[in-house]
Amino acid sequence: MIKLIDLTKTYKGLRAVDRINLEVKDGIIFGFLGPNGAGKTTTIKMMAGVLAPTEGRIIINGMDLASEPVAVKRCVGFIPDRPFVYEKLTGLEFLYFIAGLYSLDHAPSLREKISWLLELFELTHWQEELIGSYSHGMKQRLVMCAALLHQPRVLIVDEPMVGLDPKGARLVKDLFRDLASEGITIFMSTHSMEVAEEVCDEIAIIQAGKIIARGTGEGLRRQAGVDGSLEHIFLKLTEGKRIAHERPLSSN
Amino acid sequence: MKDLYLLIRPRLLGVRNRFIRSQGKRRKRALIMGGLGLAFCGGMFAVSCRVLTYFQSVEMMGDLLAKYLMSMIILTFFSLLIFSHIITALSNLYLSRDLELCHSLPVSVEELFVTRAVYTVMDSSWMLIIFGLPVFMAYGYVYRPGPGFYFTIIHMNLAMVIIAAGMGILVVMILVHAFPAQRTRDIVMLLTVFMVVALYVLFRLLRPERLVDPEAFFTVMQYLNALKAPQSPYLPTQWITETLWGSLTGTGERYLFEVALTWTTAAAMVVINIWVASAVYFQGFSKSQEAKKRRMGGGKVLDIFVSCIKKPFGIDLGAVIGKDIRTFFRDNTQWSQLMMLAALVVVYVYNFTVLPLDKSPIRIDFLQNILAFLNMGLAGFVIAAVSARFVFTAVSGEGEAYWVIRSSPLRLKRYLWGKYFSFLLPMLVLAEVLIIITNHFLDVSRFMMLLSSGTMFFMVFGIVALGIGFGAMYPNFAHQNIAQVASGFGGVLFMIVCSIFIGSVIVLEAGPVYVLFMSNVRGNPITVSQWIFIIMSFTAAFIINMVAIFMPMKMGLKVLSEYEG
Repeated sequence: MIKLIDLTKTYKGLRAVDRINLEVKDGIIFGFLGPNGAGKTTTIKMMAGVLAPTEGRIIINGMDLASEPVAVKRCVGFIPDRPFVYEKLTGLEFLYFIAGLYSLDHAPSLREKISWLLELFELTHWQEELIGSYSHGMKQRLVMCAALLHQPRVLIVDEPMVGLDPKGARLVKDLFRDLASEGITIFMSTHSMEVAEEVCDEIAIIQAGKIIARGTGEGLRRQAGVDGSLEHIFLKLTEGKRIAHERPLSSN
Repeated sequence: MKDLYLLIRPRLLGVRNRFIRSQGKRRKRALIMGGLGLAFCGGMFAVSCRVLTYFQSVEMMGDLLAKYLMSMIILTFFSLLIFSHIITALSNLYLSRDLELCHSLPVSVEELFVTRAVYTVMDSSWMLIIFGLPVFMAYGYVYRPGPGFYFTIIHMNLAMVIIAAGMGILVVMILVHAFPAQRTRDIVMLLTVFMVVALYVLFRLLRPERLVDPEAFFTVMQYLNALKAPQSPYLPTQWITETLWGSLTGTGERYLFEVALTWTTAAAMVVINIWVASAVYFQGFSKSQEAKKRRMGGGKVLDIFVSCIKKPFGIDLGAVIGKDIRTFFRDNTQWSQLMMLAALVVVYVYNFTVLPLDKSPIRIDFLQNILAFLNMGLAGFVIAAVSARFVFTAVSGEGEAYWVIRSSPLRLKRYLWGKYFSFLLPMLVLAEVLIIITNHFLDVSRFMMLLSSGTMFFMVFGIVALGIGFGAMYPNFAHQNIAQVASGFGGVLFMIVCSIFIGSVIVLEAGPVYVLFMSNVRGNPITVSQWIFIIMSFTAAFIINMVAIFMPMKMGLKVLSEYEG
């Protein structure tokens, strides 16, 4: 279970995340939606232990991230939005490096697990090559392999579909569903309404650092008073407007 | 022309915005760096004035020496400018991230090329201003020429920059036409390192110190021949030297032909570059965007090496150390710097083999001990310089993949101390090799040998901690080239603090060593107050060492824990 209590992040006077309170149950896929600059990535980075909160607490699996960072990180897998990795390592070496960071032993079971993940993400033929020669999508898939290597109980994902081809995106959606059915909690941010609608059990919408709505697709429809797609709900709640009506591009 | 201005504008606005919006820490850093730059310029000016005044006092040959010095300086600047343009042109013309956007804009290839060439000139030639201006101003100060000399400095240096830029950019365009830009970068980096190492070793082995000792030559002609810098009527540096010298000594009108030659060459370089660019620049850029070739990791020897080294560090730290070693040996820009290091050590040791100890009027054993003492400082400084390049950059070396470390269960404290211990052993070996070999050439006493190798042993603990600590206090994870990290604000600060640390330890040891040495020479016993002084000095040196080890590590850990990108 994930619990965010009064989570706040301030950058030089600007409140990027403003007293967020959330509770995410085990074994669900939780979608975190919001316009650009709303505070999604900041929240996710704080949950992954990459960024320190200004105020508030993050409780994961009953442990406080501030007081037990190592124990929390051991049960969390993090997939950032941009897959920056060590370009001079091969894919296989990178996975063994990650295994080392999580103190996983070089046992045959680890080798099997790595082979399975590489096979799953279609990277087996590239495993002996330097990551510098991978495409963006391949790096993204490698980072996903790395995040799943230590069998996390919670997966924190920032924009998982960016850079993936339709086949890769399908694979990730199915995988997330399978992981959730095994009791793993997935907290993911996304811009894609289609992905959120298709995969997420529950959704929260963040704007200007605050949660403005939360619930299932149906619950959000009720809150927004809109009977349409998630995109309509999102636009209504975040007060977005149809650009074409506001600014006629053809007038130039 | 309007498009050209529009393309250059983002760079100008960037500089302006950085200046206007810089506040607090950044402004302080800029002021400190500016102050250091000014101090350096002042130092260069003072040293140059001193040298030129000395030359003027040498009968018959004074002016000759000053002119040769000028020609050597101009030749060095010209070569450095070409190299510098080659390196910056590669990124400005082919590898910059904003190039994709620029090439998609409705502007001609020629205009885009000229804009990027201007960027390249701006990035590459500031060095000439910092290093060159004080030297040329010193010529003006010592020789007191008319105002025409200062005008000549400006326009001839401008012409030199244009010619060097033209040559450097042309080389890059041809190289990228033959190889992809990524490969070209590796080749250029390697070539640069080879050239620098070769030039450095060659220059040292020529023993330039003999030039200030004319007695070592049999005839004046031999001496003059030894002074000769490479000269040719076809070299632009020759035209520039003649013009500047003529202007300095009031015979400038004789060199109008050289002025015309220089400027027509500069103009020709611009035209040729634009021609070549219109033919090959876009193709080269397009090639640099193509996917990189599949490159295998491989390397059984490296695997064995890594598994041996990482064993004592445990699984998690071992993974980090193993990753660092693999990255280091697979990055051409990194491992090739080991050759620079080797050259540095060879030349350092060689210097001690040619020391004319027998010519000194001071007692040899006294001189040997003084030199051994100075040697500690110098060797410490060499270790600090090597640490600036390799140890200080250890944390920033994670690059944008730092999130991997931060989100992992590896504690930052353990991570930093792991990096510390991984560098400690190689730096200890390097320091001890330097100090023991050079002391051997100096033939110092057993006491001095023990003292200097012991002092150096303990100082390395502090220097490496300062390197890791300052590296963590001033991390730069968004760098394009790790070698540039060391020359940033943090790197400069590290060198300053390191020099103060080394200086303090040596000063604290100098007093007691003098007391011990003199009592040995005079055969007097050491008094109680002298013993107290000796013990207090060594204790103070020990305390400084401890502070140098733990304080930067603690501060680095704090800053890195709060790092927000």
